[in-house]
Formats: sequence, C-alpha cells, structure tokens
Amino acid sequence: MSLRQWMRGGALRFLMVFWALAVLVPHSGASAAEDLGTLVTELGAASLSKKQAVVDRMVATGAPEVVPILEALVGRDLYTRKSDGVVVIGQKTSGGKLLLTDPLTGSEVGTVGSREVKRIKTNNRLRSSVKAVMGTLTLMSPDPQRRLEAADGLLKSSDQAMLPLIETALAKEADAAVKNALQLAKASIKLQSGSAEERLAAVQSLADRTDPESRVMLSRLLLKDGDVWREPDETVRETAGETLASMERRLEMWRTVEHLYQGISLGSVLLLAAMGLAITFGVMGVINMAHGEMVMLGAYTTFVIQEAFRSLAPGLFDWSLAVALPAAFLVSALVGIAMERGCIRFLYGRPLETLLATWGISLVLQQTVRSIFGPTNREVGAPEWMQGAMESVAGITLTYNRLWIILFSFCVLGAVLLVMKKTAFGLQMRAVTQNREMARAMGIPTGRVDAMTFGLGSGIAGIAGVALSQIDNVSPNLGQAYIVDSFMVVVFGGVGNLWGAFAGAMSLGIVNKLLEPWAGAVLGKILVLVAIILFIQKRPRGLFALRGRAVES
Amino acid sequence: MSLLQRLYAPQAQEPGKGRLASAILLTVLAAIAILVPLLNLTVPADSAFHVPTYLVSLLGKYLCFAMLALSIDLIWGFCGILSLGHGAFFALGGYAMGMYMMRQIGDRGVYGNAELPDFMVFLNWKELPWYWYGFDFFPFAVVMALFVPGLLAFVFGWLTFRSRVSGVYLSIITQAMTYALMLAFFRNDMGFGGNNGLTDFKDLLGFDLQSDNTRAVLLASTCVALAGCYLMCRAIVASKLGRLIAAIRDDEARVRFLGYRVENFKLFVFVLSAMIAGLAGALYVPQVGIINPGEFAPANSIEAVIWVAIGGRGTLYGAIAGGVLVNYAKTVLTGVIPEVWLFALGGMFIAVTLFFPKGLVGSLPAAIDWVKRRIGKRNPPASSPLAEEPGQ
Amino acid sequence: MNVTGRASYSESQLYVDGVTVSFDGFKALNNLSFVVEPGEMRAIIGPNGAGKTTMMDVITGKTKPDEGRVIFKGDIDLGKRDEAAVVALGIGRKFQRPSVFENHSVFDNLELAIKSDRSTFACLFDRLDADRKSKIESTLERIGLAGERDQMAGKLSHGQKQWLEIGMLLVQDPELLFLDEPVAGMTDAETEATVELLRDLRGERSIVVVEHDMAFVHALGVKVTVLHEGSVLAEGSMDQVQNDPHVIEVYLGR
Repeated sequence: MSLRQWMRGGALRFLMVFWALAVLVPHSGASAAEDLGTLVTELGAASLSKKQAVVDRMVATGAPEVVPILEALVGRDLYTRKSDGVVVIGQKTSGGKLLLTDPLTGSEVGTVGSREVKRIKTNNRLRSSVKAVMGTLTLMSPDPQRRLEAADGLLKSSDQAMLPLIETALAKEADAAVKNALQLAKASIKLQSGSAEERLAAVQSLADRTDPESRVMLSRLLLKDGDVWREPDETVRETAGETLASMERRLEMWRTVEHLYQGISLGSVLLLAAMGLAITFGVMGVINMAHGEMVMLGAYTTFVIQEAFRSLAPGLFDWSLAVALPAAFLVSALVGIAMERGCIRFLYGRPLETLLATWGISLVLQQTVRSIFGPTNREVGAPEWMQGAMESVAGITLTYNRLWIILFSFCVLGAVLLVMKKTAFGLQMRAVTQNREMARAMGIPTGRVDAMTFGLGSGIAGIAGVALSQIDNVSPNLGQAYIVDSFMVVVFGGVGNLWGAFAGAMSLGIVNKLLEPWAGAVLGKILVLVAIILFIQKRPRGLFALRGRAVES
Repeated sequence: MSLLQRLYAPQAQEPGKGRLASAILLTVLAAIAILVPLLNLTVPADSAFHVPTYLVSLLGKYLCFAMLALSIDLIWGFCGILSLGHGAFFALGGYAMGMYMMRQIGDRGVYGNAELPDFMVFLNWKELPWYWYGFDFFPFAVVMALFVPGLLAFVFGWLTFRSRVSGVYLSIITQAMTYALMLAFFRNDMGFGGNNGLTDFKDLLGFDLQSDNTRAVLLASTCVALAGCYLMCRAIVASKLGRLIAAIRDDEARVRFLGYRVENFKLFVFVLSAMIAGLAGALYVPQVGIINPGEFAPANSIEAVIWVAIGGRGTLYGAIAGGVLVNYAKTVLTGVIPEVWLFALGGMFIAVTLFFPKGLVGSLPAAIDWVKRRIGKRNPPASSPLAEEPGQ
Repeated sequence: MNVTGRASYSESQLYVDGVTVSFDGFKALNNLSFVVEPGEMRAIIGPNGAGKTTMMDVITGKTKPDEGRVIFKGDIDLGKRDEAAVVALGIGRKFQRPSVFENHSVFDNLELAIKSDRSTFACLFDRLDADRKSKIESTLERIGLAGERDQMAGKLSHGQKQWLEIGMLLVQDPELLFLDEPVAGMTDAETEATVELLRDLRGERSIVVVEHDMAFVHALGVKVTVLHEGSVLAEGSMDQVQNDPHVIEVYLGR
C-alpha cells in the first residue's frame, strides 16, 4: 500500500474504524440513535459526497438492519423508486425486472421495470470504506457465528487498517473459536506488513497452533520468488521453518491419537459383538452363526422401544436407551435359549453341523425381521447426552457416542467377568464346560446351564445391538456385517477367554485404524484378515490359548 | 445301535449301490447333453416338445452349481474339511473365463478401445495391467481358471494344514479368505471391474454367446465336464488315497501315527477340489453372462455347502442331485414368492442337520425301507430280505 | 537310572535322556530318563497324571521336548521329527482309546496300515500286490479276526478293535511298539488272549506296554518302570517294584 493510497483511503478508514468502535463498543447506540428510516431516505437523496456522513450516522444507530442495507449499497442493489422517492432494495428477476424489498423490514414491495427505479450512486472510495465499516459491525455482533465469519473475513483480507479493531475485539472476545480466528488474522497482518521484529513475534505467536491456516502462512514465508525470498529476514525464516516442523510433529501425534481413539472405538464395538461369541463359542464350543442376528435383534428392539417412547412419552426420549438395554438383553437371550433348546442341544459335539444349523436360523431371523420391518434402514435416534463431539486443539473430533460405547463395552466386559467368576451360575457354567459328566454327577442341571449360558451369550449380543444402533444403520443385514469380524476376534484372541476377546478386539480395532490412513479402509481390512489367517498358522489356538492335553481332547 | 446313532452314522461305502446311482447319473447327463439341445434347436418353437433357450441356460447354470457341490462334497463329505470358502474358487475360475471374454470384446465396447476393456478406459487407465496378459488366448484362460484357484488352495492349504488348523477354525478362516477376496475384488484399482465385475460379453472362441447354438454347446460341454469330474472323483474316492482321506475324516491322529503325512493328503484333495470349483465357475460365467465380486460373498459358499448336505454328503451323486434340486427349488420359489426363499433355505439348513444328516440320497434307502415295511405290515407274507435293517 | 542308561546307550533300542515338557508351568515330564533294549518288552505303569501319555507323545513326535533328547537305535534323534517320520523309522503306537477306522472294513484298515510308500501320489495309484495281501491275511489269522475280514471295523467288539489296532501296527513291521492300555475294557478271556498275543510277539521286536491293570502286567512278567510326576520312580521286576517303599507310598499312601 503506497503512502498516497494510504492517505486517500486507508487513513479515512482508519478514522472510521476508530469512530465505529467508539460508538459500538458500549453496545447501547440503538435506543439513542436516530430513526433508521429517515436515515435511509436521506441516503437516497444525499449527494455522493454527503453519503459518507449518512452512512456513518446509520452505523451509529447500531441497528442490525443496517448491515443488509449497506450490503445492498456496496452491491449496487439499493435504489430509489422514481414514483415516490422511497429507498428500496432491488434484485434482478429472470424476466429482467426488479423485485423490490423494503430495506428495513425485508418484505417484498412489488416488481417493477428497471426504468422505474434509480440506482443510488456510489463510487469505489465509498464502497471500500463502507465495506470496512461493515466488518466492524459484524465483529461486534452479539452472535458468535457472525463474529467468527467476520474474523475469518479479516483473515482473508489481512488489511493492516483493521489491526486496531482486531486488538480491541481480541481484548473483549470471550468465545474461543472467534478469539482463535482473530489471533490468526492478527498474525497474518503482522506477517505481511510488520517490521522484522513484529514478523518474528507473529511467527512465535503461531507456535502453539496446528491449524492449516497458520501452516500455510508459515510455509509461505519459506517460498522464493525467483531468487528472492518472500521473507527477507533470515531469523524470521529460520524460526518459521522450525515452528512449522514442530507443528507438523504435533499434528502427526494428534493424528495418531485420533486413530488410536477410532481404533479403540472400533475395538470396543468388536468387543461387544465378540463377547457373546466368546462365551458360546469359547465356553460351550458352539459355533453360533446366528450370533450376528442376535445383535441385529438387539438393535431392532432399540428401534421398537424408541418408537414407543416417541409416540407415548416423547419427553422421556432420553431415557429410551435405559429401557432398551434390558429389553434387548431379554429379547436376544430368549431367542438364544429357544435356539439352544430347540436345535443346538441336539448337535453338541458336532460343531460343523451346529455351524450349518445356526446359519439356517440366521437366515430365518433375517427374513423374519425383513418381513416385519421392511428391508430398509431404520432410524434410531440418539439421546441428547450422546450427541455432539469433543473438539481438541488440532481439529480432531472425538464424538461422544463413540466415547460412551467405549465406556459401555468396558462395563459390559466387567459385568460378564463378574458373572463368570463370582456367581453360582458362573461357577456351574465353568464346571459344565470343563467336565460335563462330573458336573452332572454333582447334581448340576447341565441342560439348564447350557441353555442359560447360551442365553447369556445371546443377551450380550443383544446389548451390543443397542450400542451398534447408535453408530450403524439398523437393517436386517446388520448382523452379517459383524459376524466375520467377531469370529476373527475370538479366533485371534484365543477361545474360551474373555480377556483374549478383549485383547483380540482392541488389537484388531487399533491395527485396522492405524493401517487405514496409508492403506485405505478396504485394503486395511484385507491386510488385517490376511494377517489373522497367517497368525492362525503360527498359533492355531489364538493369542491366549491354553496349552496342554485337556485342550486337544 | 439306537435309531439316532444309526441316523448319524456316516455312510458306508458300498460299491454296488454306488454303481447303480452312477449309471443313472451318467445316463441323465448324457440325455441332457444330447436331448435338450436337440429339442431346443430342431423342434419348432410352437411345439409342445420345444425347450426354450432360457431353460437351456438355466440347466447349464444348475449343472455348474452341481459341479461346485461335487467339489465341496469331495473335500467335506470325504475328507471332513468344511470349507466355507469354495465360492472363492468358483468365482476365481469365473473371473479367469470372464477376463478372456472381456478381451474377446475387442473394440466393440462402448468406448471402442481395442486395447483396454471399457472399465479401464472409464478409470482412465493407459495400459493393460500385466496380469491381464495372455487372457486373449482361450487355452491360457482355461489353464488359469484351474491354476489360480488351485494355487490359492495350495497356498492356503499349505499354511493351514501344516499347522494343523482344523475343524471349525478352518471353516472360519476359509470364510475370512473369501470375505477378504470379496473386499479386494470390490476395489476398482484391483483391475477386475470393481463393483460391476465383468460383463457385456460378446462371444466365446468366435461364437456369439447369444445364439442358441452356442448355448446348446455350452450346456453339452458342462454335462461332459461334470461327468468327467464325477468319474474322476469316483476313481479317487475308490483308490487307496480315497480310503485314506475318509480315514483322516474319521480319525486323523490314527492316520498320522500310521506314518502318513496327513497335511499332504488334505492338500491334494483341497487343491483338486478347488480346481473343480474353478472349472465350474469358468463354465458358469459364459452361461449367465456376468461375474462380479458378489460371487465371493461368504453366504454363497455356505449356501453351496447346504446343497451338498441336502443331497447327501459322502455320496458324490448325492451332492450333484442336491446342487440341481436346491437351485431348482430356488428358481421356483423366488419366482412365486420371493420372501419365502430365505425361510425355506434356512429351514432346509436346520432340517437337514437335525433330521436328515445323510441328506436326500442317504435317507432314501431308509425311506424306501419304511414304505416297504408299512406295506409289509398290511400283507404279512411280503416280508422279504428287503424289509430287513438297511445297510448297517 | 542315568548310569544304566549311559552304559547301554549306543546299542539301545530307545534312549530317553533327561526329557522335560511343561504345559503352562506344569511339568508333565520332569527330567525323565530310561532305556529300552532291542527285543525287550517293557511295562510302564504309573498313576494318572504321571506323564505316560506325554512320554509317548514326545517319543512319537507329537510333542516336542523342552529339554532333553530321545535317541532311537543309538544315533537317531527323534526330537526334531514329526509323527510320519517317526513311524517311517519303525516306531508304532497304539492309542489308549481303540482307534480304528470304523467306516472301513477290517481288511481295509490293515491295507491302509501295511508298510508301503506313504506319498500322496503313490497312494492314488496304489494296487495291492500279492505279497502284501498274504501278509494281511496272515496277520488277520494272528489277531483272530480272519472271520471278520470284510466287516466294518465299527461293528467289532471293543476287544476286537484293540486287536485290530495291534494288527495295524504289526503290518507296519515296526522295530519298537508302544501299546497304550491294550487290555482296557476287555473281558477276562479277551485279556488272556491278548497276553498270549503279546507273549507271542516277544523277542520279535521291542515293545513298550503302558498299563493300569496290574494283573495283566504281572502276567506279562517283564521289567517294569514306574512313572510318577513326570520322572522314573522305580524300575525292576514286578515283584521288586511292588515292594519298593516309594511305589507303595505313591500308590497306597494317599
């Protein structure tokens, strides 16, 4: 910006900004100020040289309606109607005519030919000063969203004239996002127009950030135009380079954190889906191919319960999941017990047949659900406390629903471990697993224990369905999507071991998500599958396998 | 032996009974190979004896499924290895043939590019990937349709059988194998047409795929191939190796302590079975006109297992019968009331495993026997040796 | 015991030298050593969990020893070989539970067992020659199953299955035979017949019999090794070990 320009436009704007601040900062102008309507009429009548003053007075009213009027003025959409001299905003319609709206109320006041109105004249100088003053208007808006937009606008224009305004706004800004954007704008302006020391300070002020804007800003300093560095000062360049590198390092770390979070989240979903399987497959030696359908039943139970809440007690909707959990457990557990009593118990000791029969059951369950609820996805809502996300420094979002699912899966794991280790039922279950004949001889009703164990495994799958309904589509195919993965978890972790399932689920989830960035989602998944197939060769009984004779018989 | 035990006892290999069934099977195949094309090509369309072309292709499709069932029976019924990934071998064979037919399209595709198949042009590829080389030649494609499934089975089997992965573990990882392949083939950059797979074939060896003559010849070839595979499997099952694999199924440890390297025998049968499945896939694709990654879906492989279970595992002809019958039922049911098909299929899975573990063919003698005994009760003198306990 | 072991090490049939196997910290075999001479018949007894089955697993290549060696015929280390290789060297094993191929005929069982080329393709094209056929027939006579030649093995009585399994080992022509509880579940008459059969085999090849049935071991009248907690507790004639205070303590003192 040359001195002359500065004198002509810049200085004027400078003054205006100060003035606007003086008027606006108390946020009280509206009541005391003049009537906006008369000012608008005045603006229409005023000569080009007087218009500036009218605009200033309009700004001084502090009324929010000023902004669209000034926007129209700058966009050359402000007219006076020839018939009565009223000021209107006109927008071109497709028929070449103008749709007129009242500048104050925004209501439509008719459509006229372009001859019937007269455009309110502006020149470049007026337009640019109005633009600047508009920035200040929005920067002081009570709506943080508007302020954020204004701050972003300031960053884009990086106009030195705005620096004092930014400083003032920064001093009283409470919203973190807006403050952040303002600081960025300030640094940007300083980098472009400050002294070497100021530039250095600006670079240093960016050190704690990782956002793309500041990285672009810094990397621009390291560019050359031909042989000439864009940034003449070497110290500034060096500091910028170092800062940039440390930003990248931190960013990389945050990305890893994000992938870990996603991995743990996927792992806990897999854990939920696989835990029931670890019980039925691991403890009972039963391959339940319908396990995925138990998960699906849980998800549909959630859907039904939520529908009931929506129609009966919409106010209590946030509690629907609390009801859905036991309901889903019961539904899936009952279906599981029915399966065990009606079919699987005839097939003990013949795992391959069990596999086929339960696959048949899974087809029947899928088709039943499809017939009742239709083949399309069903909408399952999330209670308010599960919505939204936690945003961290580097633009990484940790969604609350996933966070809850992680916590939830750990709770379920803890509960299942308790049931297995601390209750009489758990003791009976383990006894039957280890020596059925002996358990029967000691008076344990093995048939009932079998049924209950299967019910427990299926019920946990139902609970998993409630959790899955929060992050996945609820459709009849829901179970199919998880069955291969859950089997992999159990096989990888080692059969009959809940901690194995835990380790298996977490490592699968995390490896999957860490592979994703450089291999892509599908290829990452394929790699994991292939890795497990290879792993099985080395440890056919999984990560936490029991070794010895008992296992082989 | 209780009734239940008798029901579940594996099939004894009785050569006499098998010979009759074989004769019937081969006669039926010969009849299909000769009569169906004749009735399709020479009998006028308005005659009651005319076989419409769609039926020719449908029959060919069933017979390809029957061949897949045969391959599964060889490995499951006789060697006791339940593969839930045979659909992968079938699909790989199909892709090999599909690639040949893609190359046959030449410049008749939508983009008219003689060098590249349409989907590659669409993806903006500049040259043919190396693994497409050679697929212009029919013999190469046929060899690949056998070699690629065989190689996959070899690598997979070599790794798993050597480390003694067996039973349900093996079943589950075969399922993971076909699942991984499905995901891979869905990817566009694999170079196999992604989602859409390979389709819009024009001709095979210069013969128009849409013409009745070509379809008739394809059906006849399928019959011949199926008969050939059947005879080969029969010979293998009857050989010492065949008896050994049945012994492996019944008591693997004993076989191992007789000094046999069990993993080699399993590997041999697994690879052979995969190659038969590949051949079935190669014959299937020209008759249905498309191959896509959906063929790799784990559900398809499991469905094929149930054909075998329904037909009767451990009897090769039973598997073939199962493959044809279940698919015929599928065509009929999905045509009339589509919703019922999955119920029916699921019901069949449950019923067969619970009540007819020997399948249709295995339960047939008992059924005949039962009917005879009912008649025998009515006419006491008729109780002949036939009315005695069946088989065992 | 190690001392006697080393003395006859080079000409021994089988030399088990300080073998230790542990499963998850539990030592199934603990520095186990003993020697079997060529042509010797040896009985091994011991309470449940003494490590008898694990010992046979180690010798026949199913389980790899954590420590120690198993030497066959003085210079062949069995520790690194798999089951098939061990069998090929001339070691046969009968399982505790009779394991015959129930869906094959008695004759087929023996045909699958008889010494022949074990490779896959040889089996595919194998035709039974006259020599092997006559050997099978004579073995059928010897194990008393000539009359059941074409029966399904699954239909045999428990004792007959045990004999068939012994017959399956005999047609392999092994130098060293392991018989795990060959008379378990047999009637007295069957047990007697088995004693006859084993006495008949004596001297023909080395045989190790693992048994619970003391009367049977007594009837065999051979050297006895007593295992306890994975190592040798006592060794000697049946009368000797029966009077050994350690043995009495282990068997009766609990």
